Amino acid sequence: MMKDKHPGEFLPLHNNWFHILLSLVGAEQHGYDIMQEVLARTNGAVRIWPATLYGTLQRLIADGLIEESDERPAADLDDARRRYYKLTRLGRKVLDLECERLQEMLRMVQRKRKQEAY
Amino acid sequence: MNRRLNFYLALYGRLAGAYPHEFRMLYGEDLDRLGEDAIPDVSRRYGLSGLLRLLADIAVQLPAMYLREIRQDVSYALRVLAKAPGFTSVAILSLAIGIGMCCTVLSEIQPLVGPPPGVRDPAALVTFHWSLVSYPYFERYRDAHQVVAAATAVLGPVPFAVAFAGDSSAKAERFYGHLVSPEYFSTLGVTPAAGRFFSPETEKPGMPPVVVVSDRFWRTHLGADPHAVGRRLRLNGLMATIVGIGPKGFQGIWPGYPADLFVPATCDTSVAPELSGDPLNRYDREIFRVVLRLAPGVTMPVAEATIDTITRNLDREYGVPSGRDGKGRMWRLMPAGTFLYITPEQHAFVNTFNVVLWALVLSLVCVNLANLLLARGSQRRREIAIRLSVGASRPRLIRQFLTESVLLSFAGGVAGIALAFGITHAMSSLPVPSPTPQEFNCQLDFRVLAITLAIALAAGVGFGLMPALSSARVDIGRTLKEGAQAPLRGYRRFGSRNLFVVCQMAVSLMLLLVTWFVAMGFLNTTRLDTGFETGKLILISLDPVRDGYSAERTSALVAALPDELSRADGVRSVTLAGSVPFASLASDQANTRVASQTGDGLGGQVLHSVFRDFIGANYFATLGVPLLGGREFDLRDQRQDEPGPQDAAVPAVLNQTAARELFGSGNPIGRRLREGERNYTVVGLTRDVPSGFLVTRPVATLFVPLSAEWFRKNPTERITILLRATTPRNTLAPVRNQLASLHPDLTVFNVRTMREDLDRLNSFVEWQAAIYITLGMFALLLASIGLGGVTAYAVARRRKEIGIRMALGARSGQVQAMVLTEGTALLMAGSVLGLGGAYVIARAFAAYSDTLARTFGHRGGNAALVFSAPVMLAGLAMLACYLPARRATEIDPVAALREE
Repeated sequence: MMKDKHPGEFLPLHNNWFHILLSLVGAEQHGYDIMQEVLARTNGAVRIWPATLYGTLQRLIADGLIEESDERPAADLDDARRRYYKLTRLGRKVLDLECERLQEMLRMVQRKRKQEAY
Repeated sequence: MNRRLNFYLALYGRLAGAYPHEFRMLYGEDLDRLGEDAIPDVSRRYGLSGLLRLLADIAVQLPAMYLREIRQDVSYALRVLAKAPGFTSVAILSLAIGIGMCCTVLSEIQPLVGPPPGVRDPAALVTFHWSLVSYPYFERYRDAHQVVAAATAVLGPVPFAVAFAGDSSAKAERFYGHLVSPEYFSTLGVTPAAGRFFSPETEKPGMPPVVVVSDRFWRTHLGADPHAVGRRLRLNGLMATIVGIGPKGFQGIWPGYPADLFVPATCDTSVAPELSGDPLNRYDREIFRVVLRLAPGVTMPVAEATIDTITRNLDREYGVPSGRDGKGRMWRLMPAGTFLYITPEQHAFVNTFNVVLWALVLSLVCVNLANLLLARGSQRRREIAIRLSVGASRPRLIRQFLTESVLLSFAGGVAGIALAFGITHAMSSLPVPSPTPQEFNCQLDFRVLAITLAIALAAGVGFGLMPALSSARVDIGRTLKEGAQAPLRGYRRFGSRNLFVVCQMAVSLMLLLVTWFVAMGFLNTTRLDTGFETGKLILISLDPVRDGYSAERTSALVAALPDELSRADGVRSVTLAGSVPFASLASDQANTRVASQTGDGLGGQVLHSVFRDFIGANYFATLGVPLLGGREFDLRDQRQDEPGPQDAAVPAVLNQTAARELFGSGNPIGRRLREGERNYTVVGLTRDVPSGFLVTRPVATLFVPLSAEWFRKNPTERITILLRATTPRNTLAPVRNQLASLHPDLTVFNVRTMREDLDRLNSFVEWQAAIYITLGMFALLLASIGLGGVTAYAVARRRKEIGIRMALGARSGQVQAMVLTEGTALLMAGSVLGLGGAYVIARAFAAYSDTLARTFGHRGGNAALVFSAPVMLAGLAMLACYLPARRATEIDPVAALREE
């Protein structure tokens, strides 16, 4: 029903979106894992509170950037109440584009610095 | 520590539990679990402040989540409505027209019966029922402080010749004003926009002339000059100083007789010739309308009793030998300050009638809406079932339907408000049948608008919700399997929808019949039909006094004019009249009391409300109204230059109604009458001719000769010349030339044929009637749409059945007949109910108002209406049914059977 958006239309990514997508790279995670990973990765600078996290997850799912994973961890580690999320291809693409955008910006800053240094 | 954590966990759980159902279904448990993980961790890292932040976060996200759902609902609803453009536009349009019509019905009458703008507490203002009062009597009423808080006497409307430049040669224009007692503005509670108003201290006889001008006059003729106060105008040839400007919208106490100038009644008679003869001190000059402001808590009956007592004392004091014989009430009071001089009974009736119309239209709109929404709701049962089966909650479904209904009602409401404004605006530009220039200030009544909107929206929302509310009863499995055909428990074949259609038919037929009865009756009874040729009757008005004629010159003019003008080319006959025939409003009628006299010269029948009309020689012959007996006035009667002895009888002509009421079935010719101090001998009898606009029954009329002597006594009256011409267009120029050559200083105004005059009056009535007729047509249209919608729905529901029938060999004619039969059954039931209802309403109104009784009982037209209204309804309804019936025949049996 909803038309798929072009990956470029999501840029620049909202801070929370970026961190959540980044946490899901390479691993399927549940909500608390994502929270913890963001916290650890940013040395406590970015904390996504539970309600905000779920609001964002819902939006990401609605926009097709992430989806719920069918795979569950081993039974002894699993909690039936938890849900696991993974990146979609679109999500992956959006994240890549955002990374490129950030790198480009970084390069621009560096070029500027070099000019200053001369 | 643990206990504290448990507390926060519980709080968190509560907040998380309040999330929208659909969100809970998907992420609820996960969210709970996350809280259990996060709360100990947050507590450990950040302590209390962290826990508070976590809770604040969820508390803020909660309403945001609901907002997001509502936004989804709205966009979903918009998509749904856009997908059914037919349904949406019909629903919005019918709602809009309904609301617009409802508001118009109740608002259009307000300027006619409502209080004038700018007056404080108009409910406390009363006036004498149909009666004029002399100034000394008024002063005594004014001082009856136990019942009267304040009072004022008004004479008017009186014309003024106003010149703006100072020199006397400047061309004067005519304006209408009121001559008022000094308490006028304070009694009405009006405050000046600039300058001052009158007061008993400042306005005394012999003071230099002053005038208060209306806001309208100030804007249109003084260029909204901020220094207008202090400027001078020439009024009837005399300089007068503007001392004040009235507030915006204020045109005097009777908006029906608007005034642009207010002059104190204490002014010089050269400013106001109407005041010649010292009426302020004459108890027998009953020329003032009196407005009383009742003291707080005083009711009209109490005031009437007190006024009666005062009047009796005054009558005794002055030795007035009137017909006021101590029995019963002498005075009746009625609310003052309405556009028309209207009694409380008329007011109540007009209001009741309009409220009934309003209720009928509104119920029709609501029923129509209900019908549309219910039919649509049942079409969507499959959608409801699917949504329920995939986990939608009932509240969510209800909210979805609520959103759709609110959107629909809102759109209809906004369009309705716009329409109501448009109609009232258009009505404000209606020509008002009045001898004085005025506006029909039709404004939307906001209370009416609010109530109408509230009811229409409530109906829209309520009926829109019904399908969702009944969703609890939906058997999901069965509905999904059988589509829209699955019966809902409690939904029988003749369900609420059919009931609604029958009601709709009935109400619309009732509305159509009642409005058309009224419109036709109104047209028939108030439309001035003189019964004689009016196209060749030319009317010319003269006002010799304001052209500077003395009383003597005026009477000479009156005596000479008919002869002079009859010599002009193309004039067949000429007569004079004191008032323009048929031009008076109902409120101007019945201005005198007449007593028939028996042989001994006393006693006899007293008629209290008689219209006295001054007419010249050959009046009836010129109009073309045949006499039923006796003769009409001739030039001798008109030339009674010398007043005879006091008791000498003046000839008079009566109309049929007056003759019947005074003398029963006896021959009135030769009988004697007494009016005030004058004696009359009846010399002629004429048939009843409508005497004015909105006069629905013949008024007893006494015609007396317009004599030179009468003019000497009443120099302020203007004269209307009536000419019967062979060809009006060619006659006008010679007549004007004749007048200009013989009387160069005479201003000729209001030259027109009588037909033009009548057309102007009738156009107002026709407009009003057109509104009612439109209302009736609208009702019809709504009902047809309703029936069409229900039939279309029935066809859609029976798609499979029709497919089977056609597969088994039913011909398309048979299928059409089957569909039409159902529609016809509903139509018949509705028509029978509607005819009955209309009969009941008509009887109820007829019992309530004799005017309407005559209207409903008016010969001709009604039988045709009773017959043609259902036929029209049937025609439209059948057309509405035929379209879906035809579509039924286009059903492809194979497709229909395979479909579900």
